[in-house]
Amino acid sequence: MPLLRMRNASFIGGGCSVGPLTLEVWPGERAALTFASAREARLAARLASGIVKASSGRVLIGDYDPRVQSIHCKRIVAFVPHEPMSLSEPDFARYIAYRAALWNVDARHAGAYAAFLRERLGEMHEAFAYPLIGALIAMPDLVVLDRPAPVYAEQILGAIEARAVFSTHTNAAAARAFERPAVLRMTQA
Amino acid sequence: MTLRALTAVVAARLYEQRRVVSYAYIATAVVGLLQPHGAAGPVFFGSLLGIVIALAQSPGRYPHLDCCEQCAPLFGRELARAKALVPCIAVAIAAIVYAGAASARGSSDAPLALAIALPAVIATTLIALCAAIRHGSSQALYVSLACAASVTAYALAVWAHSLLGELAFCAVAAFVGLRQYGEALARYDPV
Repeated sequence: MPLLRMRNASFIGGGCSVGPLTLEVWPGERAALTFASAREARLAARLASGIVKASSGRVLIGDYDPRVQSIHCKRIVAFVPHEPMSLSEPDFARYIAYRAALWNVDARHAGAYAAFLRERLGEMHEAFAYPLIGALIAMPDLVVLDRPAPVYAEQILGAIEARAVFSTHTNAAAARAFERPAVLRMTQA
Repeated sequence: MTLRALTAVVAARLYEQRRVVSYAYIATAVVGLLQPHGAAGPVFFGSLLGIVIALAQSPGRYPHLDCCEQCAPLFGRELARAKALVPCIAVAIAAIVYAGAASARGSSDAPLALAIALPAVIATTLIALCAAIRHGSSQALYVSLACAASVTAYALAVWAHSLLGELAFCAVAAFVGLRQYGEALARYDPV
């Protein structure tokens, strides 16, 4: 079963629009789409993670429709925003505890996994690492990245491991960095 | 929604708004010392604070909290209840601070003024929350409705001498306001 299915999905509202989009992302797959503007890329990522509902067409996350089963969708998918997050050390611990409470994840386990991911993302600027760490503590099956920084593609994909990834970009080179299979990347490295 | 998630949403928002809320308490204490008698001060000043703190819950003011809440496995109505608790707690404490300051100035009717002000400010705040996710004329309409609710509650309690009438009106207004906020949040698309 695909983790993400979009069939002519489009969104129109708030003075912006995106789509129609058609794609499938299966477990372990990576899909990267390039858009003409940052606004479209942001909207497409939000559409794929069930945060905004399709105006026309269909989006299914797992087997669930975000319009009626948003909670199930949000347990499958994790959304990583483009905006960096500037947090102090105590605020980061508070942020992880907050996210663990929202997703009803064991706080100690979340804290330990966050520390592990932070170690793993050591070379990445912490302002970009924090949103990714926050998203991954809920152990999602699908990770949606809104315009991730291509310079950190290696670290981001390493932290995401074998989970399915859907990312949106505003240039083709960045999209290619996130579409490459992990095995190929490791060979090249 | 689990109690843990509810507590987390409320605590995170109160923590982010701690400065605004602290200034509001200082201002409330000053106004309470300057105007210790009657219910007009706590009702109208508390309502004003309620509107300001409710509008501070607007999307975009705390983007990382907004993003987490939008991504979290919570229904819009559950999230609305959690977010509504934040300004309600803040204004309820403000009303108590006002009563404390008025008592310190020797006001004998401070407990009664608190009993009148508390339901009025909570109802006003919940109606004002509906303005927090709207823009333009509809936002102005909800702020006007919140002001009207405050005046009506005061009129019922002070001019009509019906504390029960005020309580009933505030309960209905608060319920409608919270329900409206929940419905709006459930349909809200954060673009």
